[in-house]
Amino acid sequence: MAIRLLINLARFAVTYVAATVLVFLFMRAIPGDPAQIALGVNATPELLARTRAEFGTDRPLIVQYFDWALGLPFGDFGTSYVTRQDISPLVLDRVQVSLILVVLAMIVALLIAIPFGTLAAVKHRSPGGILVSGLSQLGVAVPNFLAGILLVVVFAVGLGWFPANGWTPPGQDFGDFASRVALPVLALASVQGAILTRYVRSAVMEVMSEDYLRTARAKGLGKMEALFKHGLRNASIPVLTVTSVQLAALIIGAVVIERVFVIPGLGSMLLDAVGNRDLLTVQSVVMVLVAITLIINLVVDVLYTVLDPRIRKAS
Amino acid sequence: MRSSKKFGLAAAVLAGALSLTACNAGAGSTASQEAQQDSVTVALTGEPVNLDFTTTAGAAIPQALMSNVYEGLVEIDQEGKIQPLLAESWELSEDRKTYTFKLREGANFSNGEPFTAEDVKFSIERVQSDEWVSSLKSKMDVVDAVNVLSDTEVEVVLKQPSNAWLFDMGTLVGAMFDPSGVDDLANTAIGTGPYAIEAWNRGQSIELAARDDYWGEKPGVETATLRYFADAVATTNALQSGDVDVVYNMQAPELLSSFESNDKYQVLEGTSNGEIVLSMNNKEAPFDDVRVRQAVMHAIDRQAVVDTAWNGYGTVVGGPVPPTDPYFEDLNSVYPYDPAKAKELLKEAGAENLDITFTVPTRPYATAVSEIVVSQLAEVGINAKIESAEFPAVWLDQVFTKHDYQMSVVLAVESRDVLTMFNNPDYYLGHDNSKIKDPAAKADAADEAGYVEGMKDVVRTIVDDAAADVLFIFPNIVVADANVTGIPANSVTEALDLTNIGWK
Amino acid sequence: MTTQPAAVVRSTRRRPAPTLLIGAALVLLVVLAALISFVWTPYDPVQAAPADRLQGSSAAHLMGTDRYGRDVFSGILYGARITLLVGLVAVGIALLIGTPLGILAGMRGGAVEEVSMRAADILLAFPALLVAIMFGAVFGASTTTAMLAIGIGSIPGFARVARSGTLQVMSTEYVLAAKASSQGAFRIARRHVLPNIAGMVVVQCSVSFAIAVLAEAALSFLGLGTPPPVPSWGRMLQESQQFLGTYPMLAVWPGLAIAVAVLGFNLLGDGLRDKFDPKLNGGR
Repeated sequence: MAIRLLINLARFAVTYVAATVLVFLFMRAIPGDPAQIALGVNATPELLARTRAEFGTDRPLIVQYFDWALGLPFGDFGTSYVTRQDISPLVLDRVQVSLILVVLAMIVALLIAIPFGTLAAVKHRSPGGILVSGLSQLGVAVPNFLAGILLVVVFAVGLGWFPANGWTPPGQDFGDFASRVALPVLALASVQGAILTRYVRSAVMEVMSEDYLRTARAKGLGKMEALFKHGLRNASIPVLTVTSVQLAALIIGAVVIERVFVIPGLGSMLLDAVGNRDLLTVQSVVMVLVAITLIINLVVDVLYTVLDPRIRKAS
Repeated sequence: MRSSKKFGLAAAVLAGALSLTACNAGAGSTASQEAQQDSVTVALTGEPVNLDFTTTAGAAIPQALMSNVYEGLVEIDQEGKIQPLLAESWELSEDRKTYTFKLREGANFSNGEPFTAEDVKFSIERVQSDEWVSSLKSKMDVVDAVNVLSDTEVEVVLKQPSNAWLFDMGTLVGAMFDPSGVDDLANTAIGTGPYAIEAWNRGQSIELAARDDYWGEKPGVETATLRYFADAVATTNALQSGDVDVVYNMQAPELLSSFESNDKYQVLEGTSNGEIVLSMNNKEAPFDDVRVRQAVMHAIDRQAVVDTAWNGYGTVVGGPVPPTDPYFEDLNSVYPYDPAKAKELLKEAGAENLDITFTVPTRPYATAVSEIVVSQLAEVGINAKIESAEFPAVWLDQVFTKHDYQMSVVLAVESRDVLTMFNNPDYYLGHDNSKIKDPAAKADAADEAGYVEGMKDVVRTIVDDAAADVLFIFPNIVVADANVTGIPANSVTEALDLTNIGWK
Repeated sequence: MTTQPAAVVRSTRRRPAPTLLIGAALVLLVVLAALISFVWTPYDPVQAAPADRLQGSSAAHLMGTDRYGRDVFSGILYGARITLLVGLVAVGIALLIGTPLGILAGMRGGAVEEVSMRAADILLAFPALLVAIMFGAVFGASTTTAMLAIGIGSIPGFARVARSGTLQVMSTEYVLAAKASSQGAFRIARRHVLPNIAGMVVVQCSVSFAIAVLAEAALSFLGLGTPPPVPSWGRMLQESQQFLGTYPMLAVWPGLAIAVAVLGFNLLGDGLRDKFDPKLNGGR
């Protein structure tokens, strides 16, 4: 098993490095000279040259790449030309905000999906089961920002139960934090919940038809008991997979929600940086997102080995 | 079951660790509830990327810092008139080239340093030096020398008389700096103004705290917070839920109807220095022909543009001068809405059924305006195809720097920018300034009356030449809690002046 | 071993056939709208008519007019065109690049598999929205940007489906026999792999299409998709935000259109998956 871990780590490293090269080269293709944009209108050529030297954008590409890439594993993202500040503390702050939002949304989504999905699977022939299935289909079809806008209009502006937008950190004022995070989490969780419900339902239904369940029932266990004792463990594998894949995608997918609810997360940092042609910040944020996705995949692969006896035996 | 327990434990530990460190993530974006009367929160769109307007372009930085943190020798009041600020009074010599300023006593910077004539010399010379990179520095080119006469008296000698210079001293180029306070302008701001920066949460808000050691009258609040939003809808939502008290320079006039009829709020429509300029590249076909440009001027129904694109907010003046400038006159009669005349002119110029590209920046006012303009142009046979250009990056690069466009539209916000726009054939408008170059120079050097008359002539020439179509003067729309007082409805310089803001 | 794509999670054999029918019907509705828009729309969706702005539903304007006086119904019809175009091209890109990649990985194994799966991993690390934002920064916002970005973001999905299907096929008796009789790899791919994975790939197409529709809507909402004045459902939603308090229907129509399209493709995919299910079971 240790060997598997090493292999996984090696894969992670290779993929990450390849991604840094890709991102770096890609960013260089952006039109619009950062110096020109920082100086704005009527900048003279001498001023532009001076600023480029200050930014370091006049150095050879290789130098610029290594200067940036070597700092990444140590969390040193350099200093932004545009804001003149260190990027790392800002990114760290935003990552935490994004993670809070996304993890909360995922938890709520699971709280919706597991019971409803299981219900829909167990009672898949009854009207209740079909209804849940249908609702989940509908939930998947609605863009999350539409859900967000509607929630704001009804509950914030209309009824005044929640603030319309903004963010307070949980340590600063938990009550305010809770009231502000409620609607965005709900917007994200409703769509995620629908997606996950479908997967839970599929997974449970598949498990329900497995031989070992029938064997367990033949041995005298009740239907639900058999399900819980043997079935859920196996159903949890695909659900775990999907949850983690969704988690990674959700962090950037929440960017639209960040816009609607004015939340200072990673997604809006990326959008702002792109608009300001703040290349270093864009690169750094992209690599953080990539790293999070790869780390989640790595963790899932490892957990897979732990959870799925078939794979463990195969390795 | 053991592995699932392990998994569960690991997950719990991870979650716990995460939540501990994350307790203060995103701090400062929403001001905690202080006593309402002591603070005011203003919502704005378009955040400053750093605090240094000497090197970074954009209106957001001076908007937050001028008047509030930095002050100049003079300031511009709501009617556009020059008023004393750090300079108590001044005298102009006979040859109109030397200003002698008598400075206010007792003024000091927020780092404790007193404000003296040395600081005036330092600040003006700094603009002329390499430290200032912003293009606005050319406004100080006319200064020949600054002489310190005493701690409170300073003499500024100009190379030639200039009416523009004293006005410019009330804008960001006139900001007074302390030599020991310019080390890190990107992240700190040391000025003589009534506020000091208490906190700056990048991308979210700036908190200004009223200074106890300010030389003048303290503002009506202890704290003023500027909160930045990505779009206009978010600002009004925040107002309605009580998160902000004022929405300044509001960019979604469609939303105003629900506020206008509600006693809880006040809606103010002031003027600004912003002109919505429909530019036609004077140097390229088909707009190098004055008749084609004039046809466009007749084809556009400017009032309809204001009504449809900006919900009726905005002033149609028929020229590039806002009503607060001394040489303003209403020039609507020069090119009244007359599609028949437009078609005639196009026929004369041999330019019927034109196909042009309309480069539109990605700003709400631009996309709104462009749709109407396109349909109005279509009615006289001009087929304008819209091409979006990301603002600021692509638009600045393509249209502004490379002049690679035929027709475009943009909000020009600088005060008194008539000459910047039209007195320079290398500017993106490409206007041939041979007719106005000398009259403009004469007007700047003349006395006040001569200045006004001279500039009026210059403007009339520019309009006759149909150099560009100023669709309307951009309004400064403010929506606020009805109990907030002292909001500057007119935006006469870049500053959002919070010195008089308070509560009833 | 990298994770299994969720698309291959099997459903029960007995989902009612209505799923396929409803899905197909909804998709057909969208396709019809797009096709009609090529021939005729009640009004020009682009031309502004300031006099008629912000009207509610009426006989003249079935879905009312927007802030520029443009007919919303015409905009919805035209927007269907954009949605389908983006979906088709995006799915096409992902299909044509991802499937061969997956088959190759499944057939060759060894180094080839490693490399192509690493490539897929790298792509997987960049969700479509992220790619779209980066593309938008470099190439500017446009329909083409959206198509390319979503297409690239969808490649890993196809690669994985193709690979897992290929692996299953490769271990069947037919193929083992074919390999033993030293039939060329290309031949094996053509005769055995492709027909057998076709079903799964078709299902993935449908699922990807639904994702593409949502992604395009999100991109347009952020201003990174089809630029004005061409109507697109996502942008119509974004433009309607200002009017939620006064003319909420401006948001309802495009929102409904998006939901119908996504629902249609999802149901279609589910229905097709059930149809192909017996074949999928072969490799267990």
